[in-house]
Amino acid sequence: MRHDRYLRHSLIDWFPQDRVRAARVAVIGAGAVGNEVVKNLALLGAGAIDVYDFDRVELHNLTRAVFLRESDVGRPKASALAARAGEVDPAVVLRAVEGDFWNTLSLSALAGYDCAIAAVDNFEARVRLNRMCRIDGVDFISAGIDSRHATVEVFPFAAEATCGCYECHLPNSAYKRIAERYSCGGLRKAAAAERLVPTTAITASIAGALATSAALRLGRDAGGGARRVFFDTIAGTSSVAALDRRAECVGCGDLGDRPRIVPARADWNRRIADVPADSAVHTSDPIIVGYECAQCGDASRADRYVLRRALDFDDRIAICAACGKAGVRVDVRDEFAAAELARLYPEAPPPVKFAIARLPDEALCMDFEEKHDGQRAR
Amino acid sequence: MANELAELKLHVRTADQTRRAELKLDSSATGGEIIQAAVDNWALPADTDYALVNVTTGKALAPNATLAESGVRPGDELEVQPVLVAG
Repeated sequence: MRHDRYLRHSLIDWFPQDRVRAARVAVIGAGAVGNEVVKNLALLGAGAIDVYDFDRVELHNLTRAVFLRESDVGRPKASALAARAGEVDPAVVLRAVEGDFWNTLSLSALAGYDCAIAAVDNFEARVRLNRMCRIDGVDFISAGIDSRHATVEVFPFAAEATCGCYECHLPNSAYKRIAERYSCGGLRKAAAAERLVPTTAITASIAGALATSAALRLGRDAGGGARRVFFDTIAGTSSVAALDRRAECVGCGDLGDRPRIVPARADWNRRIADVPADSAVHTSDPIIVGYECAQCGDASRADRYVLRRALDFDDRIAICAACGKAGVRVDVRDEFAAAELARLYPEAPPPVKFAIARLPDEALCMDFEEKHDGQRAR
Repeated sequence: MANELAELKLHVRTADQTRRAELKLDSSATGGEIIQAAVDNWALPADTDYALVNVTTGKALAPNATLAESGVRPGDELEVQPVLVAG
């Protein structure tokens, strides 16, 4: 690292260049805000930036994404962004992870980051990343924009495990929008139309700047409570609101102070046997538990779907192969008693990321993706 | 119970402050109900999600909590802010 590169930073008496240099940040979403966040992190000299995105570059992205070019159209966004951002500062380690973060980012990998930033375009991804960060005790930042406003919500889970979470103040209408992506049976709709929100580079740059500053805790100590910064780019005004914890929150109400995380893929039987039989277990992903045509009674294809992750299918499987009618009743659940889950999966764990068991005095998180040693991977 | 039925005189506004109202609200009203009334009466875009912030105290109101539960006091100013989901 060439220290003269950061000469101007060194003149700022509160600028924590060493902490910035050591920072590992996960940026989820390589769109407008993701580009701005990565740009700022790279310019500031952050140590490592991992960019997660499943999408490919489209022409209309180019009005808001500082690192993307016309020659990138059709390429994976994460790779295009990481490649060009890597030119900013050779000392910054950039990595692109293509694919949906829900399938590519494990709890144990997330625990290796100092912060995760949601720069995604839907509530569902924000809800999922929020829960993972809350479980792991990793700072979570959610940045959002429209054509006029920018918001950055900060959840300092590392220092304050029980601060408010993203879902503590999520309006009911947001859950309706999440539900619109699914059929009434709980399967993802094959033809769900995404809502297009108008945005500009102006709001993206404000959100990216505020999110980066919060991620690196510039000028702040750890903690400070969950909060939302709301910025109006036309009026030039901003406000900060505290986001208090709600005990009945569906995102964190079952997690207690800080869940105990145990690797449970290799020794599933022992782990689930240790959980009291009647304890409620919440799986990270809904599971198909029933498949039968309500029209003709055919269930011959149930083996293809039952006990598998609902996310791996869409509502087209509700068309009966025997009678051709869209009458298959698909039962999907994510809540089980421990004994029931052990009976359904006698040999291997359920095909989900993790499961939360509510024990009398704690929440137990069974991690099914990787061995979890409790250490941040460096 | 008496507190739950108390009437509060409050100021409610949109984030861009183009719409303002002084309202008398029952303290048992929820943040969600106030937002819905604002959307209906001010014809705010229905395809947007909203949150309510007490700008007097600097605290966000939980959607299902009543004004009493959220500690809203007479004279407080509430702001209806869009919940931004695009990135």
